[in-house]
Amino acid sequence: MTADPAQSVIRRGIVLTVLALIGVAVVMVMALKFTPVEANQGLAQKIFYVHVPTATVALWIAVPATGIASILYLWLHDPRLDRFAAASAEVAVVFCLVVLTTGPIWGKPIWGTWWTWDGRLTLTLFLFFLLLGYHALRGSVRDPLERGRFSAVLGIMGMALVPFIHLSVYLWRGLHPKPVILKPSAPSLPWEMLRTLLTGFGVFILLYVGFVTLRYGLQLAQDRKEEADAA
Amino acid sequence: MPPDNGQYLFAAYTVAGVIYLGYALRLMLRARRASARR
Repeated sequence: MTADPAQSVIRRGIVLTVLALIGVAVVMVMALKFTPVEANQGLAQKIFYVHVPTATVALWIAVPATGIASILYLWLHDPRLDRFAAASAEVAVVFCLVVLTTGPIWGKPIWGTWWTWDGRLTLTLFLFFLLLGYHALRGSVRDPLERGRFSAVLGIMGMALVPFIHLSVYLWRGLHPKPVILKPSAPSLPWEMLRTLLTGFGVFILLYVGFVTLRYGLQLAQDRKEEADAA
Repeated sequence: MPPDNGQYLFAAYTVAGVIYLGYALRLMLRARRASARR
């Protein structure tokens, strides 16, 4: 009996996801117990250790990976690239949802408001809707070639938004702070905070990889079943 | 003295935990169904 490749990808995805979820719990404990309380913002500042790595992975890994896979799909027409782009875009929706919920919860005690139509927030919300549109489109087109082609265009548009989201804090005056890590000079954080933040980056990258692997494996299993049914 | 706003931290971590865990469980349930269908 030969091993089903979809099942082995799914198993790998489950292991990575479980490890990453344990890691998320570790990051939260590190933030609560082993990271100092910021003098001006108080405990609410510790939202940073989930919000910032999540936003970084969404904007600098998940969305660009979707865009690059989409470009390659339009060029090579390899269904694996379309499957990967779809998996990465779905995980990007989840990460963006966390960014768009934890951000306002942090904003309320610090800015005095849940939401403001600041450039960074507005563009991130727009990206979230674009990603939702990506999945609505995939659900509404039956032909796999057309589905791959149309959704690839949206995937590329999502990637094109990322530099504008990053630069929005420099381009327009708003409430959202400027980056503390991804900036030309050295990170402006004390070591205790930087340590927890860097652990967070590692853990949320692992979570992205786990989710995408699992989602890719599920799509592979479904595609193989559809091929078998059609044959 | 830092402001007393721990409830926002608790809310944010809970929301993030529920979203991530919820999505992971959804994928794992689908994986179980896919494996049962084989």
